[in-house]
Amino acid sequence: MLNLSKIILLSKQIAASLLKDEKPNTLDSSELFSDQEKEEILDRLTNESEIASRLHSKAKINSKEDWKILQSKIDAPRKTYYWRYAAAAAVVIGMFTAVYVLKDDFLNDDVAKPIIVNNQIVPGDNKAILTLETGEEVNLVKDVKYTAENLQTNGEEIVYKESSDPELTKEEIAYNFLTIPRGGQFQITLSDGTHVWLNSESKLKYPVRFIEGGTREVELLYGEAYFDVSPSTEHKGARFKVINKSQSVEVLGTEFNIKAYKDEVTVYTTLVEGKVKVRSQELAQDLVPNQQSKLNTTTNVIDVHQVDVYNEIAWKDGVFSFEDKSLKDIMTVLSRWYDIDVVFEKKSLESERFVGVLKKNYSIETILSIFQEANIINGFEIDTKSVIIK
Amino acid sequence: MSHTKKVYTLSLKSYKDVYDTLYVSLCLFAKNYVHDLDLAKDLVQEVFIKVWEDKIEFKNEVAVKSYMYMAVKNKCLDLLKSKQFRSTENMSVEDMDELNKDSFYLKEVVIEEVSSRIEAAINTLPTKCAQIIRLSINGLTNPEIAQHLNISVNTVKAQKKNAYKRLRPLLKNYFALMAFVFDYTT
Repeated sequence: MLNLSKIILLSKQIAASLLKDEKPNTLDSSELFSDQEKEEILDRLTNESEIASRLHSKAKINSKEDWKILQSKIDAPRKTYYWRYAAAAAVVIGMFTAVYVLKDDFLNDDVAKPIIVNNQIVPGDNKAILTLETGEEVNLVKDVKYTAENLQTNGEEIVYKESSDPELTKEEIAYNFLTIPRGGQFQITLSDGTHVWLNSESKLKYPVRFIEGGTREVELLYGEAYFDVSPSTEHKGARFKVINKSQSVEVLGTEFNIKAYKDEVTVYTTLVEGKVKVRSQELAQDLVPNQQSKLNTTTNVIDVHQVDVYNEIAWKDGVFSFEDKSLKDIMTVLSRWYDIDVVFEKKSLESERFVGVLKKNYSIETILSIFQEANIINGFEIDTKSVIIK
Repeated sequence: MSHTKKVYTLSLKSYKDVYDTLYVSLCLFAKNYVHDLDLAKDLVQEVFIKVWEDKIEFKNEVAVKSYMYMAVKNKCLDLLKSKQFRSTENMSVEDMDELNKDSFYLKEVVIEEVSSRIEAAINTLPTKCAQIIRLSINGLTNPEIAQHLNISVNTVKAQKKNAYKRLRPLLKNYFALMAFVFDYTT
């Protein structure tokens, strides 16, 4: 059968020639087409009305909409999160008390009592899914140990051993993935000693070992991660690079946080210590400590401003620290940790602001009651895994 | 370990990468066989569904394109040859012979590949630069472009130079596309 590689190479050469305003010699000398066909190809590529008609058709293809249709037709593989069973068991007791009013004695009569039905919401915990290079998936949950040739985990953190065998490092590098579900968090020490904290609903791709002296590269596919990078001086000057769909961050040895959630247009990079360079397409921006870059992935604009880094990285220490954040943003953060859906009964509440520190092991009722006592919200309802803010 | 599970996964992300890169091109390519954009879209979607369901694995850019263009072409020809289609549409034997030719297939692939590459490249340029390059591809000379846009010939030259400089990395590795390797295991 025809080998398409010749055609693809030829296409690349023709495109390059046309862009450079040169004669496409490779097409002229190609034996794949007759002279008549060559003429037609060039005409279709350069004739104004041909190009316009193509663009006209192209505009009628909505690839985002069609993707949704396609997605509904294919049967996407469902991952089984075994930790859910453990969480469900812990909640069974709560289910017998269908209506549970929190802190009844503290609430005045004029404060709306929360309605709580079949509350299945629990704070997040240490859990992750490790995908090995073989495709095998390992569910990592609290207090469960798992050990393989090059790694071990205690259900809270996974540690990769540094390879001591020089022969091994010449082999093809295998990649593992660590996926943190909603309601999860996990830590990982890479083979170079770099420590990474991963927040809920995040996914990291990394090599099981790094090539000696080569740039150490990992990919934050989505979500939030805090990196404490092992210095380049300990790795023959090898840089460390975190790539993401819309940007890359290059470092020599430093501590920083990246937040790149799928449902947010902004990618936040916050530098705690050292120096990093954030790149996106042709843009590059150096950060110094206490600076945060905000990359708008729609407009591809990078803004840099000063922040209190504590608020940005408190999540890894078991705390939510909100400094004048809107309730909408706060509920987005909480929904990832408690794996809940949040509905605002009144839209105007979304822009209410809150300052304060909340512990991540608080129950959702406690947190919502704090908001209620602070008169930020008037009341709330909990049903199964949903929260309604009133 | 509490539980381990063997899975044969075709990662949705890699699949989406293929879709994002090729969907529009394949629709436009199919349209040149069936002369109806909506019909073209349906046929391309069917090919994508098959790729997902059969967990088809590709090693690189050439492999994925070879498969996708060929599969879409076959789908189009099957439809055109179907009794149902022939009962409503009138296509001459000569036209059908033409569409069946390998050289027709290769010609359409080349046109689609070159067009999408040029568009992708031009989209990385600032508006003015892009406009000038488009006119230049349409065969206009520098003085003609200058007149058309009401700017000086020197500006046209400078903008072109600027464009080539920006496009150089793209032209050099010929828009090296993302890796099409599916994350799959045995």
